[in-house]
Amino acid sequence: MDLPSKTHRTWQDIVTGKKTFQLKFLASKILLGRLTRSVSENPSPDNIKACVDQLYAVFEKNAKIPTVQEDITTIFG
Amino acid sequence: MKQNICSIADVTRMIGSGRTLLLAGDEDALRQLPKGDWIAGTIPYFISSEKGGMVSQELICATDISEAVAGVEIVNYDQNSLARVYSEGPAHGFSFIIIPATSKTHLSFALNAPNYKDFGVRPLIGWISGVHLNDLGKKTPKVFNGRTGEVLEEGALVMQATLPENKVAEIGIVNLFEQGDGDILTFTSDDFAATDVMVSGEKRSFAKYIVENKLDTKLPLVADYYGALVNISFQEVNEAEGVVKFYAPVFSGIRYKHAKVVPDYVKTFEERLCSECSIESDRVLFSCNCILNYLYSELEGKKTDPFVGPVTFGEIAYQLLNQTLVYLEISDF
Repeated sequence: MDLPSKTHRTWQDIVTGKKTFQLKFLASKILLGRLTRSVSENPSPDNIKACVDQLYAVFEKNAKIPTVQEDITTIFG
Repeated sequence: MKQNICSIADVTRMIGSGRTLLLAGDEDALRQLPKGDWIAGTIPYFISSEKGGMVSQELICATDISEAVAGVEIVNYDQNSLARVYSEGPAHGFSFIIIPATSKTHLSFALNAPNYKDFGVRPLIGWISGVHLNDLGKKTPKVFNGRTGEVLEEGALVMQATLPENKVAEIGIVNLFEQGDGDILTFTSDDFAATDVMVSGEKRSFAKYIVENKLDTKLPLVADYYGALVNISFQEVNEAEGVVKFYAPVFSGIRYKHAKVVPDYVKTFEERLCSECSIESDRVLFSCNCILNYLYSELEGKKTDPFVGPVTFGEIAYQLLNQTLVYLEISDF
């Protein structure tokens, strides 16, 4: 499936920890370990946006990888 | 799997016939190789498909990636320029990195890679080169640039591999360690050493805590990164000086726990592969495992099929890992 845009609310919910998912793609898991910590320490809109940008870039640039496709389905249905 | 343990003569022939190779071997063996499309790191410990865990200062572990890639570039980085390693990775492919253990670049990468620009945007896999344990303090870990003939003990070598259009690269890890049932441990700074630890919010001497709680330091600290378990291995506990040293840095704010015991590495490894992984060995291009797993789990003579490859002083799957097997899969899409 296509990757929903960065403005999709779920990206923000992931980095803020409001929604959690069991993901498979290693890079996004390692990155989210750091981003969720960063947002919990600094929940400012600017930091949340920066974290969404980073997470989105990982999904966008790796969208052809099978586990990323699975993760997109897991997150967005 | 394209990883084999080869003689110097065999590797020389492969280089001569234009193969693109990722190599691991003792320094003296690697110095005998001609120039060509290869990079290498020093280490004499391997896992082979025939003998399992083994040590040899004459043989070389060769990963032939010629058939998998459409082209490669070899790039030297230093501790500062390495911050571009993710950004400069091939748009469609992977970057393979080797860094000498204890070099400034190793330490800098370990501490700073998670904050490098474009972390995780492109695959980065590799390992930390080392020496025979009898040569610790006598020889230095090194990396070799096969194209230029350079031998470096400071810096990092990266082979940037572009894949054919219909192929995709993915990095995986096999970590047998899980968080135990003990205290949640946090640290106040990013560092390879710690004097204090926060135990459920209370500041304690970490060295004393380890001694008092009889923690087995062969078992790592384990952090849960959104489901990915990341180890920090103990190097030394100096109770007199009150310092605990690690083989990778702990990071402030991350919640660590001491690992559960793994009673039989090979048995647990096989069970893990059966239960969690859907690994097809012909898709695995490269793998390596940690020298601490080799030593503590006594892997000499034992097999970890389908994974073979060098036994390393640190593993890299996007960032530095400890006591973890890392692998690179190439598949069609």
